[in-house]
Amino acid sequence: MRNRITTGAALGALLLLTGCGAADMTKQASPFANAQSARTVTLSVQSWVGAQANVAVAQYLLEHELGYRVDTVQVDEVPAWDALSQGRVDAILEDWGHPDQEQRYVQDKKTIVNGGDLGVTGHIGWYVPTYFAEQHPDVTDWKNLNKYAEQLRTPESGSKGQLLDGSPSYVTNDKALVNNLNLDYKVVFAGSEAAQITQIKQFAKEKKPFLTYWYAPQWLFEKVPMTEVKLPAYKEGCDADPAKVACAYPHTPLQKYLNSGFARDGGDAAAFLKKFRWTTEDQNEVSLMIADQKLSPEEAAKKWVDSHESTWRSWLP
Amino acid sequence: MSTPVFAVDGLWKVFGPKASRVPASPELAALDPAELRARTGCTAAVRDVSFDVRKGEVFVVMGLSGSGKSTLVRCLTRLIEPTAGTIAIDGEDVRAMDKSRLRELRRHRAAMVFQHFGLLPHRTVLDNVAYGLEIQGIGKAERRARAAEVVAKVGLEGMEQRRPSQLSGGQRQRVGLARALAVDPEVLLFDEPFSALDPLIRRDMQEEVVRLHREEGRTMVFITHDLSEALKLGDRIALMRDGRVVQLGTPEEIVGSPADDYVREFVRDVPRDQVLTVRTAMRPATADEAGNGPAIPPTATISEAVEAVARAGAPARVVEDGRCVGVVDAETLLNVIAGATAGAGDAATGSRAAGAARVGAAAPAERGPATPPPTAGTSEELV
Amino acid sequence: MAAVTTTAPRTATPGALRGAPARKLLALALLAALLVPLAHARWASGTWPTALTVDLTTPLTDASTWIIDNRDSHPLFLYVLGHVSNAVVLAVRAVYLLLLAAGWAGTTALAALIAWRAAGARLALGTAAAFLACGALGMWVPTMQTLALMVVAVLASVVVGALLGLAAGLSDRLDRALRPVLDTMQVLPAFAYLLPVVLVFGIGVPAAVLATVVYAAPPMARLTALGLRGADKEVLEAVDSLGATSRQRLLTARIPLARKELLLGVNQTIMMALSMAVIASVIGAGGLGDRVYQALASVDVGAALAAGIPIVLLAVVLDRVTAAAGGGTRRTGRALWAYALAAALAVAVAGRLMDRLDWPDAWVLEIAEPVNRAVDWMTAHLYSGVPVVGGTADWAGHFTTWVLDPVRDGLLWLPWWAVLLVVAALAWLIGTWRTALTATLAMAAIGVLGVWEPSLDTLSQVLAAVAVTLVMGFATGIAAARSDRVERLLRPVLDVFQTMPQFVYLIPVVALFGVGRAPAVAAAVVYALPAVVRITAQGLRQVDPAALESARSLGATPLQQLWQVQLPLARRSLLLAVNQGVVLVLAVVIIGGLVGGGALGYDVVFGLAQGDLATGLVAGAAIVCLGLMLDRVTQPTRKGA
Repeated sequence: MRNRITTGAALGALLLLTGCGAADMTKQASPFANAQSARTVTLSVQSWVGAQANVAVAQYLLEHELGYRVDTVQVDEVPAWDALSQGRVDAILEDWGHPDQEQRYVQDKKTIVNGGDLGVTGHIGWYVPTYFAEQHPDVTDWKNLNKYAEQLRTPESGSKGQLLDGSPSYVTNDKALVNNLNLDYKVVFAGSEAAQITQIKQFAKEKKPFLTYWYAPQWLFEKVPMTEVKLPAYKEGCDADPAKVACAYPHTPLQKYLNSGFARDGGDAAAFLKKFRWTTEDQNEVSLMIADQKLSPEEAAKKWVDSHESTWRSWLP
Repeated sequence: MSTPVFAVDGLWKVFGPKASRVPASPELAALDPAELRARTGCTAAVRDVSFDVRKGEVFVVMGLSGSGKSTLVRCLTRLIEPTAGTIAIDGEDVRAMDKSRLRELRRHRAAMVFQHFGLLPHRTVLDNVAYGLEIQGIGKAERRARAAEVVAKVGLEGMEQRRPSQLSGGQRQRVGLARALAVDPEVLLFDEPFSALDPLIRRDMQEEVVRLHREEGRTMVFITHDLSEALKLGDRIALMRDGRVVQLGTPEEIVGSPADDYVREFVRDVPRDQVLTVRTAMRPATADEAGNGPAIPPTATISEAVEAVARAGAPARVVEDGRCVGVVDAETLLNVIAGATAGAGDAATGSRAAGAARVGAAAPAERGPATPPPTAGTSEELV
Repeated sequence: MAAVTTTAPRTATPGALRGAPARKLLALALLAALLVPLAHARWASGTWPTALTVDLTTPLTDASTWIIDNRDSHPLFLYVLGHVSNAVVLAVRAVYLLLLAAGWAGTTALAALIAWRAAGARLALGTAAAFLACGALGMWVPTMQTLALMVVAVLASVVVGALLGLAAGLSDRLDRALRPVLDTMQVLPAFAYLLPVVLVFGIGVPAAVLATVVYAAPPMARLTALGLRGADKEVLEAVDSLGATSRQRLLTARIPLARKELLLGVNQTIMMALSMAVIASVIGAGGLGDRVYQALASVDVGAALAAGIPIVLLAVVLDRVTAAAGGGTRRTGRALWAYALAAALAVAVAGRLMDRLDWPDAWVLEIAEPVNRAVDWMTAHLYSGVPVVGGTADWAGHFTTWVLDPVRDGLLWLPWWAVLLVVAALAWLIGTWRTALTATLAMAAIGVLGVWEPSLDTLSQVLAAVAVTLVMGFATGIAAARSDRVERLLRPVLDVFQTMPQFVYLIPVVALFGVGRAPAVAAAVVYALPAVVRITAQGLRQVDPAALESARSLGATPLQQLWQVQLPLARRSLLLAVNQGVVLVLAVVIIGGLVGGGALGYDVVFGLAQGDLATGLVAGAAIVCLGLMLDRVTQPTRKGA
């Protein structure tokens, strides 16, 4: 009998806690947010280091200049939009363009608002190491790629040349490109950027030739100089049909996005994140400290902040 | 004659598909186990068993493994649901009881002691003993007090707080016994309680049961596969084979006049002089013998008589109520010890109260005449 | 005894076929002779015929769009799932705030207290040391996040599992219904659980907790049912004989009697929940797993290790403490217990008063850099050009060219019906016709889903990895069984590798073997090896000493003893080792999608990364089928079945 009463009480308490009636799971924050009465901002970190650099500096300034507590969550790009719309993440600082998501969340549902340019322009392309391009200058034109297919073979690509692709979360048309441009190559997915970078560094250490999908800005260029292979020029709309793409990737001004509730009620933090804007060089400087000198993101951010006060002063509300 | 504690009549327990058709059909019921198995896929563990358990007696069911004795004792409180037949406890039909009535029966009237003790390993000795009372809903303080008394009674003082795993086998079975006693049942059921114990400890425990029975006179149904245990404890013994009772009688009847060859083979190595009484051996006194020689009671065993005869160097008189009912001499005694069957027929009716005398308790007043030996038909069929 | 029960009739049907493998094969051959020409005439192609596939892309995409569009409006989400999600968030938050409020000193003291209470002084010291190490590695807050998530997930898993187990333990019908489901869930790779949960709950802690519960509850349910069913029959009979009601019987006898299994279930649940809590960082679980994941993005093995070590420490501590709690009954004076509790509280309050709730930054040890240097050195010297043996990259290349490619091409070259036949034959030879049927159907389902080729690719990686694992595992296991020294040396290594999140060793593996299928296989081997070694060693050690002694007395050499006595007698354990090896390898080959393993693993990762649930779910379902098939094919006949 006593048990039954206890159970009943527990159930009742649970109902009270969760609130009777409707519970909108799209408006539930992370349980780790705002702990210990600190104001918390949750930032999405994508898996590439450039995004880490943005977040590291934003986090450092939010914590040390504005007194916030910052939580970071690593989520892939598309799911991050979903998380952002649900308010589990307050902001994405670097987005490479997701028209479908933009349509759904910004235009239709209005749960996300654009937070302005990051100030960095992103570009995806195919790259060969510069040491290889210097020996074979004609490799930088896609029309000559088939000539080099043999040199770019690996056990994984078998009888074809290898085109190294990265994380599945990245925007890529490479399979279609190889197909539509009749290239004698096989796309090998490294599965994660970490794996791709490790592999590129190993190749570079041995001065081996390779062909890889890569993007700028990216700190790796400082370590392994790479030259872009020219693909057929990009024209507006030439990548509309994913199966028929036969042109280069566009240059994308990277965007920031904020949860609309956070943008409205986020106070200083939201104002700060909207103003956050820096250059490719700035970003690379921090990225390199993180990824190559193996500084912790916090230390890297501190170093950059200490030497670039003029840049970030203007971001503060 | 008062109502028996248990009255069992025509009891069947059949395992297998559509078990109830077996006792219902005379043809199937008559089959031997192998044929029954082949024809129906059923196994009859208990076949058409009838007996009464009288108040205050120790009723032993004896048989080898697979004879159905453990199933039989479980049918008494419907731990195993019988297939056919009737069981009555104090005249009340057990098979007709509903759940709560049955629970009452198990809680207050019949308690069981198990071969492997069946103790709860996570409880102390005291709480194990008090478990039956707890089930009945008795408060903690009271049940512990009562349990402590019983623990003392079975000689486990000072071990109340131990757990079963810290006890020896004999001690564990004392706990099992105490648990059954704690609920103060009308009848105690023992299912081969001592067969898992070492011989010496087994003897101790047997003495313990004898002592308890002497002190309390509680009715007991005792299952065993050990003949000497059966003879030592039983007022009456039902000997089972393949689910049937092949002979039911006092130890003396079983040893002295086996109903068939199976029983005879069974009791062959029993030291007859310690089981049989002088009634089996005596012959009518001749006129000159009636007043002479040492006097012995009719309940004396053969071995006691041998001693008396040897000391006196003459035949001994068997005296009952001051009257000489017969004499035994060296020849008659030797005949019995050697296993000659002479006079066995008389013995069956002549030694009825012997068992109780042996265990040292006065025969309960309401003890009636022994049930007749099993009919010839039953026995022959099983030979 | 009179306990005559029905035994024989059940075995009659398969019994006729069971004895002779030849007969089974013959039956199968007959069946094949009948069906294959039919199938071949109709759908003649090497790969799975397109006519027999069902394209789920459109319905799945529609479903996922519908869910996203209706998540904030449909009553199902508002009134049911929303509350579930809300309850999870509130519970995790409550625990998290509690842990933070206790501060690092208080939490450590409390954890040590619990360990002391459950498992004694030595483990209490170990627990305290482990918690302090988490702080010293600079991982205090993530550790608390993971712990908060774990506490909620484990509690929920235990409750759900125990209820299911109770149902299965008490009702035969439910047991029959639940058992195959639970058995199957046990063999599925953790990754397969993520997508469906994300689909419904979106990225975040609720999804992570629920995926963890789904993953971690089955062992609890299984062991609860096992414990209830395995209770000593005579004790239960004794309880009945005293007139207990069924409720009394359950509460006073069956559940206490199942204590050992229940605690083992809790132990298993905790271990599974921890491994899942790490993997769930992919769907936003936060905490330690997220730190590992983030470190990997910058190819920072050292940082990944700094987050990985607390996971290992937590795992070891939780495992030992719960195992010890299940082992025996210990009694400590009530007074002592009260003092200890008071002391722990005092520490917590002191920490609070001194405003030292967060782990002091000055006390953080930087291990990332030395570790990275070590890894760099290792890869630099081993990658290639080592004289005579060649570098690891060369090995990987050869392995890909000479093993992986031929196996994959061979599997793809086989006509689809031939693959089904091989699966059926193997499963039948090792198991029963039932397992054969399940395995074949699972394989066919892969074809129907339209992922035949990537699945065979994954299968080829699994086969290669299993082969390597078994060779190395049996060799090491035999060595460990023959020498106590070797076993003592191996034990901590095995512990660490079994609990280390798989993510951590993906990077060194890439650094050593490059990108592709070879590193995926290598990671799988590293992950599956400990279990295989352990089971092998245990099996060999349990071989009846009398049999060994008699072999020795006949003058058998150690090698003869091994071949003729130990290995045959340990057959069951060895088969179990194979089975476990296969299941574990599959779990990591999927994660190998992150290092270029491609195939199904890549599809799942792709599905998660792109929010493309159609691709991800179909690949996930194919993995489930593959796991089912592999498990059934390697599952030795259960006794009596």
